[in-house]
Amino acid sequence: MRMLAGLILPGSGRITINQIDLSGADSGRARGAVGLLTEAPGLWERLSIRVNLVTYARLQGVENPQRRLDEVLRLVDLADRVDDIAGKLSKGLKQRVAIARALIHNPPVLLLDEPTSGLDPASARHLRNLILDLRSQGHAVLVSTHNLAEAEELADRIAILKTRLLAFDTPATLRTSRGGRRVVIELADSTNRLEIAIDDEAEIPEIVARLVAEGRRIVRVTPNQRSLEDAYLELVGNDR
Amino acid sequence: MTPRLRSGQVGFSWPRVFAVCQKDAAELIRNPGAVFPALMMVIGSLFPAFLVIVGAPMVAGETLEESGDFAESAAHAVTMIPELAGLTGNALIQTFLFHQFSLLLLLVPIVAAMALATHAVIGEKQSKALEPLLATPISTFELLTAKALTPFLFALGLSWSAVLLYVIGAAAVGEPGVWRAVVGPRLFLMFGLLGPLATLAALLVAVIVSSRASDPRSAQQISGLLILPITIVFVAQLMGAFIVGPAAMLLASLGCALLNVFLFWVGVRVFHRESILTRWK
Repeated sequence: MRMLAGLILPGSGRITINQIDLSGADSGRARGAVGLLTEAPGLWERLSIRVNLVTYARLQGVENPQRRLDEVLRLVDLADRVDDIAGKLSKGLKQRVAIARALIHNPPVLLLDEPTSGLDPASARHLRNLILDLRSQGHAVLVSTHNLAEAEELADRIAILKTRLLAFDTPATLRTSRGGRRVVIELADSTNRLEIAIDDEAEIPEIVARLVAEGRRIVRVTPNQRSLEDAYLELVGNDR
Repeated sequence: MTPRLRSGQVGFSWPRVFAVCQKDAAELIRNPGAVFPALMMVIGSLFPAFLVIVGAPMVAGETLEESGDFAESAAHAVTMIPELAGLTGNALIQTFLFHQFSLLLLLVPIVAAMALATHAVIGEKQSKALEPLLATPISTFELLTAKALTPFLFALGLSWSAVLLYVIGAAAVGEPGVWRAVVGPRLFLMFGLLGPLATLAALLVAVIVSSRASDPRSAQQISGLLILPITIVFVAQLMGAFIVGPAAMLLASLGCALLNVFLFWVGVRVFHRESILTRWK
């Protein structure tokens, strides 16, 4: 995240944002194309939300900071708290101000580090919807999270990292890779429950027919998919 | 709606510097822990002169001229401090003492700059506000300039206010003509040249020390060593060892200027973007 935000230089390779090299002389312009939400909100606690955000708007060269302030505060639902002192806000509200800060210059790229960490369920839901809106508006959004359900809900593609990149694919492909599709068949006899790996759901009628032919009495057939958590644990476990 | 960005985002940008300066100023005003030592220094530096020039004669029941304590030193100082020429008796001694004690006022911008700069830098570290700040297009040179500029202007403002109060006090309690002899080239040299240069040195030391310290007090204790030379010179002056004349002040200014070049060189390296993020913990 820090490298992508232009805060530290890559040890090797090269990062470009909007075709501008982050390590080059023009790195300031590249950083201007990124909105960063750091893990800690990092607000100036003695100052109001207004001063916090207007300062960033000026640093980013936004032409009409006041108007943009009103726009982003509406986006994060804080329009009525603009003159509140940042240090007196709850953790959730601070997080929302930090998100407004990342959005103040309407950057094409957003880097969000644990965006819903510490938020109450309603605030987290509001934020996830905001991220989905931003994605649909054409922003490239990179979210770092330990919440796999959140990753699955928000992401087009997911990278699983543990020191190094272990996998990078769509949520569906990650779930179904390595024999991810299964069918769960509950039986009336003592065996009780069978879990069979399949490549395609079209295989299910054949499996059911074979079991019936063997004289098994079937109570329920449930096509099932491996969860992203299963896929994650398998990948991370294999990397130990 | 997409906000329009101003041009000129590359290179040195004064609007970005001023944005951080204004923010820092707003934070300092709301931070009594930073402003209090500076204000105390103003009072502390004004008090001794008036204690000796007004308080001591009142307690002793005789004027400074009658007591004879400073008469010889004052007469001797006329060659070193041209502003004393033409004055006699009590007015000469009072003016001489006001000039001697004016060196204490030099501590105001230095202490203020150290107090304010350590808070301006360590405050960012403590609130974890550096990462988002450095993720903006601001360059490290612009950030260093901004972090130095606000405390510098605050410190100079305080210092000049203290000098103004000093002169007003001299006019109020001094013999006729004393205040006019206090406001002379020596005072302008001290607070127009040496003061700003010494303040800048104190500021840069405070910034460099703050980059390694985690709380403002420890940073101030280390950078506080800077007030030692001025205190030594002040005490030596009072003991009659020497008088700081215009030549000595110009020499000290040159020394401060050279020191500032070196400290700025160090400061730019300390303010390296990666150093800030990896070492400023």
